[in-house]
Amino acid sequence: MAARSVSPGGALLRASRMFALPSPIPPPPNDSSAGTNFNSDTATLAFPTHQVITTLSSSRKQGDWGLKRPLPLKSTTKSSNPMLRVKAIDTIEQITDYSSATDHGITLRKFQELGMPLSARRPASGDMKDTTSTMNLPQKSVFEESFDMTDIHPDKRAEAMDSRWKFTGPWLAGMTQGEFNKWLAKHVRPKRPEFRQFLKKKIASELHAAAAKEALDKGLEQPALMDASAVTEDQLIDYLRKLRHDNQALYDMVGQFLDLAPLAPPTVSQTGLPKEKVSTLTFNEMKNPYAERGPPITHPSAGLSYLRTSMYMENHPIYGPQKHHTPVVARVLRPRRQAQAAAARLGVAGFVVNTPLGDTGFNSRSGHAVFDKIDPTVEGGAKVWVQAQRASVDSSGRVVLTVNDTTREAQLVAQELLGEAVCLGVQPAENEMNKRESASDIRQRYRAADSPAMSSAQDYGLRE
Amino acid sequence: MSCRQWLSSAARQCQSALAQQQPRTFSTSAPVAATRSLFHDNTLSSTTPNSRRPRASSANPSEALHGLLTDGLERGGPLSAEQQREVMEQQQGGARAYVRDLRTNATTENYVRQMPRRWRIGELYAPRDLTPAEMKKWRQGRRPNKDVVDMLGFSPLDNYRNFSLISEFMTTMGRIKHSDDTGLRPVNQRKMAKAIRRAVGMGLHPSVHRHPEILRLSRHGLPTSAIPTPSDPSQNRL
Repeated sequence: MAARSVSPGGALLRASRMFALPSPIPPPPNDSSAGTNFNSDTATLAFPTHQVITTLSSSRKQGDWGLKRPLPLKSTTKSSNPMLRVKAIDTIEQITDYSSATDHGITLRKFQELGMPLSARRPASGDMKDTTSTMNLPQKSVFEESFDMTDIHPDKRAEAMDSRWKFTGPWLAGMTQGEFNKWLAKHVRPKRPEFRQFLKKKIASELHAAAAKEALDKGLEQPALMDASAVTEDQLIDYLRKLRHDNQALYDMVGQFLDLAPLAPPTVSQTGLPKEKVSTLTFNEMKNPYAERGPPITHPSAGLSYLRTSMYMENHPIYGPQKHHTPVVARVLRPRRQAQAAAARLGVAGFVVNTPLGDTGFNSRSGHAVFDKIDPTVEGGAKVWVQAQRASVDSSGRVVLTVNDTTREAQLVAQELLGEAVCLGVQPAENEMNKRESASDIRQRYRAADSPAMSSAQDYGLRE
Repeated sequence: MSCRQWLSSAARQCQSALAQQQPRTFSTSAPVAATRSLFHDNTLSSTTPNSRRPRASSANPSEALHGLLTDGLERGGPLSAEQQREVMEQQQGGARAYVRDLRTNATTENYVRQMPRRWRIGELYAPRDLTPAEMKKWRQGRRPNKDVVDMLGFSPLDNYRNFSLISEFMTTMGRIKHSDDTGLRPVNQRKMAKAIRRAVGMGLHPSVHRHPEILRLSRHGLPTSAIPTPSDPSQNRL
């Protein structure tokens, strides 16, 4: 219906790439707060900021990407994965600014190949390290109704505090002192009269509730709704004095007014309980999954996966349902250096991943594993088989994957599927397509054959 | 048998072992093969206790016991020629493995040095990020693009006694770093420079090199964060 009301020119514009391309999102912050100024401005960003566009092969041959002008064939037709990001459709030099986007495009494909759901509670990264007591706690999908509330009535926003992931106010625990001071001066102080009005409304509703209860007790008629303007200044000052002595109530009011992101409950030193107990308690009692490490900057799934659970079985055509998901090959990005107490870093599906905690092969003391050394003779670098365990998006938009050791059987089955291993003594079928023949092999084969390889006039009986 | 006699017999055995060993390892010509066949019986009989050990323990308990007993006897007495040769070979093999480990370690260290990027969890990489050209960029430090003083909201002038902070904004030769390197905005750069001058002028911080306390820590390989934090200077103000 809506499309019909648009003029033909308007419809054409709407369908064009010019309008279909969303404006780019801000890049991930580089960690100047971590004290490191070592970075590269050309490194692959932790998440894509521009829309990735693609085109059909026939159009690509003509340079047609649906943009204002055809793109150069030399740089766009060679890749086997046509993916581009357009930084500017038109510049003052009258060119289209584009670059290859295979880095993020292929990463998305690889991630989807893992078949992982994204969970709400993010595992450790950066400063917040996972421990053996927290690593195996159960996770919930980001698409659970209790977490994934986006369409909320403006009056019910305070009630839905624990099930939201988007807040207009900041997450106080993630601010530095300087940022906090600036925020106070710039955003909070000008709101003083508004806050007084907000409190007056609260007082009015509280007074009304009290009056209504009394009326109900006495069997009288319900009083009319009280207006905020009826609250006197004295009442407000009294209420403010009361609030000042009740930290929790004050924080609730301020948090509700500024729409602050929730904060984590008390820590070990405040409760005096053992550490493990507190971490488990925090896990069970904390209603909002983002209170501990900050709310995410996007939807907590980041659009990477729409699966809700990993509780499904993979079926093998010969061996039947598999206990484990298919393991994947991880690249050893940095070897483990025991002298520097530096753990190995793995790359799974293009994401940098920590080695698993606890009693795994990655934590054995012997320094003779693949991830303990760099062997320049190994083509393509050292790789290990791992089992992707869970994934989630952290508050800065990075995807944090957790991997574990794979079992021997799962690895063997996966390797057999790739043709790298043999199960149950069955030789892999000789595949004509995969067989590699050198030029001399082919020549010999043709020489050894009885009949001539190439047909000649003689074969057709044309010449004696 | 005196001690010296025992030693001399052992030395003789050692020499004979070397004499036996050399032709076996280096030559396969006919005369040597003949001598090897001469010695063959001898070598067999001397190696049997060692080679029999695992077999005996699994096959027959009484035989195993016998093997153990003879082992015990042999362990007490001087080593036979062949055993000595084995021990030497083992030692040589161990040394070879050790050298190989060292070499692998050195290779790894060299390659790790070529890869200055510290992969953080959740970062993304494409094949291009593993190339030397990209890795080189991670080696050079860049100017911080955020004002640290503004970010942390502290006053540099109150921190003139904080030598780890002062050191951070000085070169190793004792000069105040330029704002190109510190990334501070002019106001904060001036305040920081004043704090440095104050610290040096009061004799709290050396003007020619790093603070000795920081040097001590770096000698022990400890980070600067190992220094206990001083109490909040704003509370000390009158």
